Amino acid sequence: MSSCPEEIVDLMHDYLDEDISAEDEMKLKHHLQTCPSCQQYLHQLKNAVGMVQGISHIKAPDGFTSQVMAKLPKERKKVGFQR
Amino acid sequence: MDLIVNKRIKQVIKGDQNAFSEIVELYKDKVYQVCYRILGNRHEAEDIAQEAFIRAYINIESFNQSRKFSTWLYRIATNLCIDRIRKKKPDYYLDAEVSGTDGLTMYSQVAADVALPEEKLEKMELRDNVHKEILKLPQKYRTVIVLKYIEELSLNEISEILDLPLGTVKTRMHRGREALRKQLGKL
Repeated sequence: MSSCPEEIVDLMHDYLDEDISAEDEMKLKHHLQTCPSCQQYLHQLKNAVGMVQGISHIKAPDGFTSQVMAKLPKERKKVGFQR
Repeated sequence: MDLIVNKRIKQVIKGDQNAFSEIVELYKDKVYQVCYRILGNRHEAEDIAQEAFIRAYINIESFNQSRKFSTWLYRIATNLCIDRIRKKKPDYYLDAEVSGTDGLTMYSQVAADVALPEEKLEKMELRDNVHKEILKLPQKYRTVIVLKYIEELSLNEISEILDLPLGTVKTRMHRGREALRKQLGKL
């Protein structure tokens, strides 16, 4: 597992960032075809990302907006009682 | 969306405070979520998310309307989160998290009347554990991971929000993913 070349691991991250040149992508694909441990490594990275994406999206608590509105300073503008 | 937001911002600047509530409505879930995933507990997340909106309101005139409002807002929120983390003692923080089971508590509240099927419960436990593993990441990795994979922002946006060069964001993303690969592989 520890045998994955650092250069290839870097390419995996470029690939996951969708920031990889066509040339590098070919290189990565070629390597993956012949290297099961790198395949597994990339799979683990994708899995980790998928798990993070899979935690459910949560919403702000009830009454959030009214609480914010109640806490706003009364007047932003200085123009209040000018004559 | 940006058009509506800019219109509301102009109203707020003119002194119409109510126009701000629409802005809060539009962004509250995003801001709350980012605070929750970075800070780890609901009470603090609510506190900081509210503070972020209050700061945005007070400083609204300094927002450049040719830019994206959400980027500016995320920037305020993440800065507040990072400040909050820096002020805490790290040990206390980790302890609080381990005993928390925050997510589970929330889920069981939601499903109080309904009997939970085994499978569903397992999924909730898994999410709860993923949440905790994210919290174990060092703050600088956690922040980029949350913005990218939970808020679904681009690397460019993240670099703008955090005021970091793109290369730094990529390095942190890379290290964050490496850490998660190891941590989540055990789940």
